[in-house]
Amino acid sequence: MIPDFDQQGRAQTKEWVPEVTAPAILLENVSKSYGRIFALSNITLALNGGVTGVLGMNGAGKSTLFNLLMGKLKPSQGSIKLFGTDPWKNPAPYARVGFVPEHENMYDWMTGHGFVSTFARLNGLTRDEASIEANRVLEFVGLTDVAHKKIGQYSKGMRQRAKIAHALVNDPDLIILDEPLQGCDPLARTTIMNVIRELGRMGRTVLVSSHILQEIERITEQIVILHQGRLLALGNLHSIRERLDKIPHRISIQSDNPKQLAKDVIDIDEVFGISFPDGKNLSIQTHNLGAIHSQLPRIIVDNNHKVSTIDNPDDDLASILGYLTSGGGI
Amino acid sequence: MATKPDTIYRAFDRKASAIVEFTLRQYRTKTSTWVVLGVGFTALALIFLIYIDVMGSEFESIDNDGDSTDYDNDGYPKGQEIRLGTDPWDSESHPGLFDTPIEPEPASMYINEDDFDWDITSKLGTQTTGIDDDGDCLNSNKTSSQKDTNNNGIPCDIIVEYFKSSDGNVYTFVSADSGVDEDPDEDAYSREAIHLAFVLSIGKLGFVLLLGIFLPLFMATGLIRDEMTSGTMHFMLAKPIARSEVFLYRTLGYLGIVWPYVIVLGILGALISGFVGSGDAFFRFADLGVWMAIIFATMMATLVYGMLFNALGVLWKYGIILAIPFAAWELGMALLSMGAPDAFLLRFSVIGWALMIVDSAAMLVWPNIDLFILMGNWGGGGDGGWSFDSSLEGSAPLDFFSSKPGLGLSPFLGAIIATLVLLFQAIIFWFIGGALFKGKEIQ
Repeated sequence: MIPDFDQQGRAQTKEWVPEVTAPAILLENVSKSYGRIFALSNITLALNGGVTGVLGMNGAGKSTLFNLLMGKLKPSQGSIKLFGTDPWKNPAPYARVGFVPEHENMYDWMTGHGFVSTFARLNGLTRDEASIEANRVLEFVGLTDVAHKKIGQYSKGMRQRAKIAHALVNDPDLIILDEPLQGCDPLARTTIMNVIRELGRMGRTVLVSSHILQEIERITEQIVILHQGRLLALGNLHSIRERLDKIPHRISIQSDNPKQLAKDVIDIDEVFGISFPDGKNLSIQTHNLGAIHSQLPRIIVDNNHKVSTIDNPDDDLASILGYLTSGGGI
Repeated sequence: MATKPDTIYRAFDRKASAIVEFTLRQYRTKTSTWVVLGVGFTALALIFLIYIDVMGSEFESIDNDGDSTDYDNDGYPKGQEIRLGTDPWDSESHPGLFDTPIEPEPASMYINEDDFDWDITSKLGTQTTGIDDDGDCLNSNKTSSQKDTNNNGIPCDIIVEYFKSSDGNVYTFVSADSGVDEDPDEDAYSREAIHLAFVLSIGKLGFVLLLGIFLPLFMATGLIRDEMTSGTMHFMLAKPIARSEVFLYRTLGYLGIVWPYVIVLGILGALISGFVGSGDAFFRFADLGVWMAIIFATMMATLVYGMLFNALGVLWKYGIILAIPFAAWELGMALLSMGAPDAFLLRFSVIGWALMIVDSAAMLVWPNIDLFILMGNWGGGGDGGWSFDSSLEGSAPLDFFSSKPGLGLSPFLGAIIATLVLLFQAIIFWFIGGALFKGKEIQ
């Protein structure tokens, strides 16, 4: 038995039982600063159940938040509780937590199965139990076929899924995924999103970060927006979206004949402005993206236009952040 | 189906074995592991080649007292003339002129003709010992005062005196009657002395110092640090396991590869020196005790340094730079322990304690090693050895590499105390390393 002098609370005893009344994640006035630079400032947040997306640009503090939750960093101020226990002081709550780190480095010399089952044993499973559990989670993330290949031979998407399998092997109640979709091909992206949604349906608390709005949108409606270390917004994506719809949006269409296309789309009520940035492109201004997107395909097909791309340059995190930080607020 | 674990320390051994096994497999994939182990093996193999070469060569037999020479050219060696009472410096006086003439004896009879026969029981006080094997003292026509040149009233003996000086050190004084044990067998003595010196020097410098420091320097410093740098530490720390546990199990994994390596090399060394070493026996079984102590001391050294260097790696990204001063200090302490095994500074080193284990075992296995060194240093007293240093070849290096275990304890107790101290040091460094790791923020 290893004495752990810093350990606090009930987790010292062998019969560590998480406080049932405590939420999975509870942050109270948490700040993390490096010198005079605040990576996170004054975050208060409680989460329990369901999938929550953490949105933020690079450097907004997503990884700092997750590292604080995983006890890798010590908060400069405030208190963090996982199932009622401070993770910096005590690793016990990780028995109920799965974590997918952002780092790309993995143990390339291990097989997927070896990786998942070896680390499963750190949850206190025996070798045989760990092997069974590893097979289960590898099937859940769709890696059964390549389970006995070296991770070094995996594609980016497979590696991400192996990391997710590693996090899920202890059947956790709280799963934290740091940029799980980064660098994945569309197929892997879909698989991972399905896995995350499935976990949400199973009643787990899932925290997933991304800097791409569309990704989060496909996974969950409940989002947390971080910006420059501050908690900018917390709530339902749709309510944020609705407010967003009231501000003008641009749709950029690349076509062989933008002028003709402009004549056809001007009839849509929601279009209030049209411009031609260059010879090949048409830019439409609107207050209601959804309406345009529902009518645009029909117009294009009916009038036989050749369109190569349709783009929403404003429909991303940057514009939401721009809106929220320019005094919109939620 | 597995049940969900809900305590930190449930199935302690499962976590331990998982990390140890993981660490071992990880070492296998690293080139640096094989380079370090290969270099260690090569270095020791070279030393052993030198040893085998030395053991295979002839040690020239020297006529230490010069009585094999026929100075007066009458055909009779000096020794024979002295024994039979003729004048070795006068060609007109020799045994061939006796009533019944005696044939000259070959000169080789007077080389190595009077080897050591010392029998000393206690370590303090004045004792008399030695036998005049060739009779050139007892049977010669010397007067009784010539037979007792050391003036102790006993003809043809050797006085060995151990006395304690006021500073507490024990000094020895040897005074022999002329012609006693004056022409020892160099080949036998040097072969044995160089064998013992080699076992002690390979054990102390090659194993305990070289392997004991360089294996952990290159293999333990990155145990935690490399994982922190590459970001893979996140996988391990995302599990319900205390960081000091991770620190301990990673070190155990390192020992899992280093200890078998040390044991295999030690057994190889014991086999080589057992078969090649001096002596009439087919294999020197007695030396196995010393080799076991060498292996054990090296294992303890790799344990303590492993914990220390692992902790230094946690402390700073370039922990190996912090480790180098420690290695230098330990090298100095190793050399100090050869000359002054009781030096106070040695208590503040790891190697001092580890070498104490080897010294203790050498004391137990070769209880007469002090006397053996004393004989070699005296080397027959250099009676007729005008062209020779009176010390015998091999006694000086043996004197250097052999030292009494410090603290003035019995060898057995000394070894036990040294082991306990080393274990204590390992635990201290584990606590320090665990605490450093625990307070470390990992990006």
